[in-house]
Amino acid sequence: MADKGNDPVAIWQNMIGEMEKGFNAFANKAMESPQFSKAMNQAGGVTAGAQKQLGDFMEKYLLTMNLPSRAQMVSMAERLQSIEGQLNEIKALLHQVHGNAAGPESGHTGAPKPPRTKRPPSPGGEQK
Amino acid sequence: MNAAAGLDFAGLDLADIPDRIQTEVQRAIQRSIKGVEYFSSSGPSLGSTPKDILHVRGTMNLYHYRPMSDEIYRVPILIVMATTNRGYILDLVPGQSFIEFLLKRGYDVYMLDWSAPKPEEKRLAMEDYVLDFIPDCVRRVQADSGETEITVIGYCFGGVLSLLYGSIFNDGPMKNLICFTTPIDFREMKLFQNFSDRRYFDVDHLVDSVGNVPPEMILSSFEMLRPASRAAGQVQLWENIWNDEFVKSYRMFDRWATDTLPLAGEYFRAITKDLMWDNKLYNDAMSVGGRKADISRIKVPILHAVAEHDHIVPYDAAKPLIQKIGSSDKEEVMLKGGHVSLVAGANAIKRLWPKLDSWLGGRSI
Repeated sequence: MADKGNDPVAIWQNMIGEMEKGFNAFANKAMESPQFSKAMNQAGGVTAGAQKQLGDFMEKYLLTMNLPSRAQMVSMAERLQSIEGQLNEIKALLHQVHGNAAGPESGHTGAPKPPRTKRPPSPGGEQK
Repeated sequence: MNAAAGLDFAGLDLADIPDRIQTEVQRAIQRSIKGVEYFSSSGPSLGSTPKDILHVRGTMNLYHYRPMSDEIYRVPILIVMATTNRGYILDLVPGQSFIEFLLKRGYDVYMLDWSAPKPEEKRLAMEDYVLDFIPDCVRRVQADSGETEITVIGYCFGGVLSLLYGSIFNDGPMKNLICFTTPIDFREMKLFQNFSDRRYFDVDHLVDSVGNVPPEMILSSFEMLRPASRAAGQVQLWENIWNDEFVKSYRMFDRWATDTLPLAGEYFRAITKDLMWDNKLYNDAMSVGGRKADISRIKVPILHAVAEHDHIVPYDAAKPLIQKIGSSDKEEVMLKGGHVSLVAGANAIKRLWPKLDSWLGGRSI
């Protein structure tokens, strides 16, 4: 068997691993500096500002094009969410009613609930 | 017999060279075939352990997993997921699912998972999470299970939320608390500290501009902690693309890691100001909705699992949890692995899950 230290594939994989570690360590060191934080947040602030301006512009554009505004879409989404929520509540109630009919030991799926009697295995014993 | 057998050339056995070349040629062919397959197929189906949705309200989802055991422990478990990521990291695929492991060991498992907050949910604040969502889920778990007491498990920032909940509702019904890689001393998250340096980071401007903090920004800040790892990961993927198990694992973790959630604006503002800037949890000065959240008030048994090579929550940030908590029954376990491999993957299956089961079983009756 080839010695792993001389296996070209192993050497290549090791080199990639070492390069990754080295670059991460180098970059982490650079990112600890206040200058990095300043530059990063300046760029981030500009991006956030541009994003807001673009959002405002799109709102106006959609209004001009007689397309539904974001607020209208959000309102529709809220109504859909509310309908979904009510459906879930109805589903849960139906399960409950079905569960009660099946017996008090049934879960919300209607399937019988296992008893809550489990004990941990004794030390050295088999897991039940 | 090969004439070169036994000859050694700078440590490389010449007899192995033909075999080695053959293997590499086969792998190169496999790479081409599997590479096409990779791009034309979707990854494995994740989070498929059978479950029922108990309740959905906005960003909050409460699931109940169907028991897989003939009898279960009396005390149900509520898992509180981190708000930045999806809960399926704890339920990858059969055989690699923490949830499935718990169910098979006889636990009754519920999960509070999050979906992306909608633009209109940008005003959700820390108090919504700690004083509303978690208590609401706890009440629903109590009603569904018929049990008063509950074990809470929090992963990463889900652990922080669980600690805040436990310190405010310290008279019950939480019976046990398990935290995975939970930061307490935010000064020790050095790179995040620098990214959010109050001299340069205008959190008010950001939140007022964008509403919810976009997932791309959250993902970038995580990836910046190890900037070379994505590229190196892709090189490794190409090298190992002939290996189905490697590819499956890569796809599962890559999909989860990039499936980051946005954060509600006000909630992000509170995290930045109260935790990153003022380190209030560590300094015993944290309050939520006007209610003091001092973790020394938590007296229930606690297990804190931390990872030796966690680059997101370094050990120094997580260490003070056990020192500061008020419980007398408390234990910290440090396991090999990183922030994610601690809870999912081969290391977790071998180390964390059995440890957690042996700790929790006796405390769940």
